[in-house]
Amino acid sequence: MTAERVPTVFLVDDHALIRAGLRAELSGHVSVIGEADEVAAAIEIILERSPDVVLLDVHMPDGGGLAVLRAVNKEQPGVKFLALSVSDAAEDVIAVVRAGARGYVTKNIEGPELVEAIVRTAAGDAVFSRRLAGFVLDAFTNRSLDGLSAPSLDPELDQLTPREIEVLRLIARGYSYRDIAEQLSIAIKTVESHVSAVLRKLQLSNRYQLTNWATERHLL
Amino acid sequence: MNPQNRPFTKGLPLLFRGEHHDRLRIIDKQPLIASGHRLDTPGRPQRPLRRNSDGALLGGVCSGLARRFGVRVRTVRIITVLLALFFALGLAAYMTIWMLVPRRDESSSIFTRTMNDRRDKEILFAILIAVLTLFIAFITIGVGPPGVSLWFLALSCLEAVMVWRGASEDERENLRQVSSNLSKTRVGRTDGWRAVALRTGFGVIFVIWGISLMSRVSGEHGAAAYVLAGASALVLGLFALFAPWWIRSIQDLSMERRARVRAQDRADMAAHVHDSVMQTLSLIQRSANDPVEVTRLARQQERDLRSWLANPETFGAHSSTARTLSQAILDVESEIEDNYDISVDAVLVGDIPLDDATLALVAACREAALNAAKWSGARDVAIYVEVEAKQVSLFVRDQGSGFDPAAVAPDRQGIAGSIIERMRRHGGTATVTSSTGAGTEVELRLPRASSST
Repeated sequence: MTAERVPTVFLVDDHALIRAGLRAELSGHVSVIGEADEVAAAIEIILERSPDVVLLDVHMPDGGGLAVLRAVNKEQPGVKFLALSVSDAAEDVIAVVRAGARGYVTKNIEGPELVEAIVRTAAGDAVFSRRLAGFVLDAFTNRSLDGLSAPSLDPELDQLTPREIEVLRLIARGYSYRDIAEQLSIAIKTVESHVSAVLRKLQLSNRYQLTNWATERHLL
Repeated sequence: MNPQNRPFTKGLPLLFRGEHHDRLRIIDKQPLIASGHRLDTPGRPQRPLRRNSDGALLGGVCSGLARRFGVRVRTVRIITVLLALFFALGLAAYMTIWMLVPRRDESSSIFTRTMNDRRDKEILFAILIAVLTLFIAFITIGVGPPGVSLWFLALSCLEAVMVWRGASEDERENLRQVSSNLSKTRVGRTDGWRAVALRTGFGVIFVIWGISLMSRVSGEHGAAAYVLAGASALVLGLFALFAPWWIRSIQDLSMERRARVRAQDRADMAAHVHDSVMQTLSLIQRSANDPVEVTRLARQQERDLRSWLANPETFGAHSSTARTLSQAILDVESEIEDNYDISVDAVLVGDIPLDDATLALVAACREAALNAAKWSGARDVAIYVEVEAKQVSLFVRDQGSGFDPAAVAPDRQGIAGSIIERMRRHGGTATVTSSTGAGTEVELRLPRASSST
């Protein structure tokens, strides 16, 4: 079983302080096998060392996290990405997740939570922060200010199942997966599979609203 | 190479002695060009024929020829100008040589380069066909075959297009240099008088030539060709006369505008940095011994900068009066973070304008978050707001100490009055879920009735 193995992690961030902080927080829990501070170097070393999880800063010069993600995904689709950012700008978050990241966490996440997120990413599950859950709910249910007057029932609106919406709401309220499982009386595995299904929809859906929503958010 | 090798610019008019020009020459030219200031004096003929790259007026054709045949460059230039007046022959010859002869230190001519580039070749053929069509049109209309000078003029124009497209980066830079020097020429400056005289002479000759060609129109055969040639000569002449002022005014204008925009941006940025970041930094220095205060200040500053980055235009516009639910919730978030040592994180889905009922919801939310900040002992409190089709749901959750709701005295105003009763007054509900050690969640629901009617 790979579940018990300590995942190997690669850090990509252009701020040395952040990398040092991450290393300190992660040491002992996961094995950090390298770090890079720029896009080109990151791509090269990641391809060379094939880590389980890449902790990826979204905002970097020369194309940012997106460039790394795209380049590595093309060569080694098995490498999983967890996006990490101070920015809560919706369009950045959505862009990285749609490009293939397994999840998104903010930089003020606490150590244990980050470790948990990395382990979950390594296991192939999706990691949704509260904010990402909020973004997805907002994007898929399309209830922004000017959307209110529009007829709220669009056949495509049902792309998220009621159960998925329920799970996302609980995540947005700050529940852990364990709390959610307890609340809904389902297994944690089931929660995980719901979240993974949402991630897949988020990545594959070419709903007009998604892009529209993101640009709208940018203007807001 | 030794940067001292500069003196070979000495014999040249200031006009062509640009800084950039110098640098290029010093970096990549062979020492033998150090004899450059001999350009103006007759010397031994030198092979092969190459266009000159230093001290070129335009393409370096004249100085190249002078060097090739060992004559004064001035002589060649005068002959060229005279030939240009004679059916524009000089002009066409000049352009042809420019195109066919490689520049010194370059291995290929503009012509061969153009022929090797598919796109350039296509453009060239397109222009060629257009010109031929025009001429055929002249003949068929009945104005007769165009005059010799018109052919030469057309040829020169075609070649000019080719030269501009095919010139190497180095040469193009050189031409740019020449044109910018032209615009900087000042009348009355001792060094520039030669350039001014040259330009004025050129302009006057073309204007006179153009007028004389046009005045010959008298119903004779092929008059249109003269009109055309005359008009082009006139335009060319006028351009030569007035281009410097025109170009300079355009350059000045756009440069000034760009500088102004940049200065404005810098001022805005500086003002903002000063108002916010500098103030906060000085406050942090003063309270360096108080970690709670420092955290609070840093948090406040972070929130401030973040909202500024997200939307610099409207920054601060809504800080005093929130107009929508999400703005009001964000105000609550900052208020509590500023006053208590707790991080408040609000996730918002959807938004609606504020009214009495939503204001009550915001007030209840504030009360719940305040309770969490005061009593829970948790490090952060999560607010989640979702505007649904029929109701607004709001959750305030902390993972702190929690309490036993049954044990709370019924006269405690906090929860009963400020949250539950307030929500009930506006047709909503409030549920408090808490147990000792497992944190607290306050759930507020407000039906949306007003918006549909």
